[in-house]
Amino acid sequence: MLTDLWNLFIAFLRASNLGFGGGPAIIPLIQAEAVERYQWMTNTEFTDAIAVANALPGPIATKIASYIGYKVASWPGVIVAIAATILPTIIILIILGNLLVKYSKSEGLKAMLTGVRPIITALLVVVAYEMAVEAFQINEFIDFFTVVIAIGAAAGLYFWKAHPVLLIVLSMVAGYLIF
Amino acid sequence: MKTLWDLFIAFFRASNFSFGGGPAAIPLVQAEVVNKYKWLTNEEFSDILAISNSLPAPIATKLAGVIGYRVKGLLGATVAVIGVFLPTTLIVVFLGGIIINYADSPALQAMLKGVRPVVAVLLAQTAISMGIKALKDKPTWCLAIIALIIMLFFPSVHPAFLVVISMLLGYFLFKK
Repeated sequence: MLTDLWNLFIAFLRASNLGFGGGPAIIPLIQAEAVERYQWMTNTEFTDAIAVANALPGPIATKIASYIGYKVASWPGVIVAIAATILPTIIILIILGNLLVKYSKSEGLKAMLTGVRPIITALLVVVAYEMAVEAFQINEFIDFFTVVIAIGAAAGLYFWKAHPVLLIVLSMVAGYLIF
Repeated sequence: MKTLWDLFIAFFRASNFSFGGGPAAIPLVQAEVVNKYKWLTNEEFSDILAISNSLPAPIATKLAGVIGYRVKGLLGATVAVIGVFLPTTLIVVFLGGIIINYADSPALQAMLKGVRPVVAVLLAQTAISMGIKALKDKPTWCLAIIALIIMLFFPSVHPAFLVVISMLLGYFLFKK
């Protein structure tokens, strides 16, 4: 039991904290740990875990950690796997965040942040672009409704200042009815 | 107590309505943290996003940890992070076996297809609201355009690398 927990901790620590580039980058790393190294599950079972995780909202890594952690060592497994996934970087970030506040008056830091903000803007543009490419795959006539949904969402944001959650729920209902 | 509850609800909503992986949560976190509860300004959010993006692990839990801590210390961080992952953890553990049967169902695929354009629009809107504050003059525009070109044409260059380089450049370009 303790060995299992320790292995879970190490596996998810490695997979999550070497996984630069967010959730999707982490999946192959978790697969390498869970299927190949520790052989907690077969490739098919791992694919099932991904399918379950993809059907649900929220970060992918914590969902897979929950699934595999529970399978290997029940609730203690869940806790250990999630902690290994998220805690190290959260602790580092809280320390960095404190430095950000502490030196917020410093000209040097202000200059550095002025330099980084355009890059974050560009990064979001790229993410939005990739998401749009995936969303607007127009193969059939019915796919044009994705454009209608997008325009509706944009109008909701600008004219009615709609809460994003409302737009998401409405779009899922629309998707269910249209597609 | 009220603040802790607000933190929980804010990150619960932001995480559990974000379909399409980590980045999809960013506009939702912004809507809660900047627009609704006004814990941070747009610039502060953008700065936290910058440092969060330069480290590995899921973006939603990182944002929850840092922002929760900023608002209400360690307890705030804990509550916000729990709000992000607990609901889906419970669903995965208790209903994982059932969800497998529906993961490929046309109804779910249709709903996810409906939500994708909205996620794209939300991300675009976040990019615009950050751009308004970030792109104030020619040098900042240049930085953004260069970064955009690098990311689109050399996708193997890691964003964390761009973040660090841009901070160094910023130090020399913008320090008064």
